Amino acid sequence: MERAIQRFEGQVQLVLYPFALNPTSEVATQAAWCAGEQGKFWEFHYMLYRRQELWNRLAAPQERLNDFAKDLNLDTTALKSCVESGRMQDRMKADKAYGQQLQVSSTPTMFINDYRIVGTQSEGELVRLIRQELNRVQPQGQ
Amino acid sequence: MAKKSKARAQTLSPRQQSPQKPLTPRRWRLKLVIGGAVLAVALGVGGLVRFLQQRDLSPHLQGTGDKHYTLGTAGAPVVIKEFSDYT
Repeated sequence: MERAIQRFEGQVQLVLYPFALNPTSEVATQAAWCAGEQGKFWEFHYMLYRRQELWNRLAAPQERLNDFAKDLNLDTTALKSCVESGRMQDRMKADKAYGQQLQVSSTPTMFINDYRIVGTQSEGELVRLIRQELNRVQPQGQ
Repeated sequence: MAKKSKARAQTLSPRQQSPQKPLTPRRWRLKLVIGGAVLAVALGVGGLVRFLQQRDLSPHLQGTGDKHYTLGTAGAPVVIKEFSDYT
């Protein structure tokens, strides 16, 4: 996705809506936002995917996620306290409600402007869809 | 006297029967009217819900990335909203 966006620099913006489908994912989502408070949301976000098999089946993944935070030189005490405070829960619920409003029922779901795409897409397919949408909104190749 | 009572019996008999005969069609008509009204309301509500869902979709999708992490250029002609789960 990121490579596809880089390819259309200045013409595409990605807005991320973490859509937690289970309690483990809810903790991870909150941890990512808490990492964001320390300026490392994207680093943590990518790490969650890269190391997915190390934590995604744990009922209580907090300790493992703290290890990741340590690897990113984050303040782990602050991160843990942020997650445990539950102050990111409203944000998470709001995103989930927004997704439900748009009839998102599985992940990943993407909207390229108003065009809905469900399921994982290859980079080539994403590039094709973005180009198609760009041609639609900028028919003269502006 | 006997003639009078016979005459009464002849005249009363159709009167007594007349209100009973149209009862069945009236009930059917009433049922049809009520059924039609219920169907019309159900179709109307269904259509309205569908219209509202479709009408709501575009304005919501035009929302900005405020309070969300974004990549790329703000105000770009193509905005991708990604809903994803970490697990």
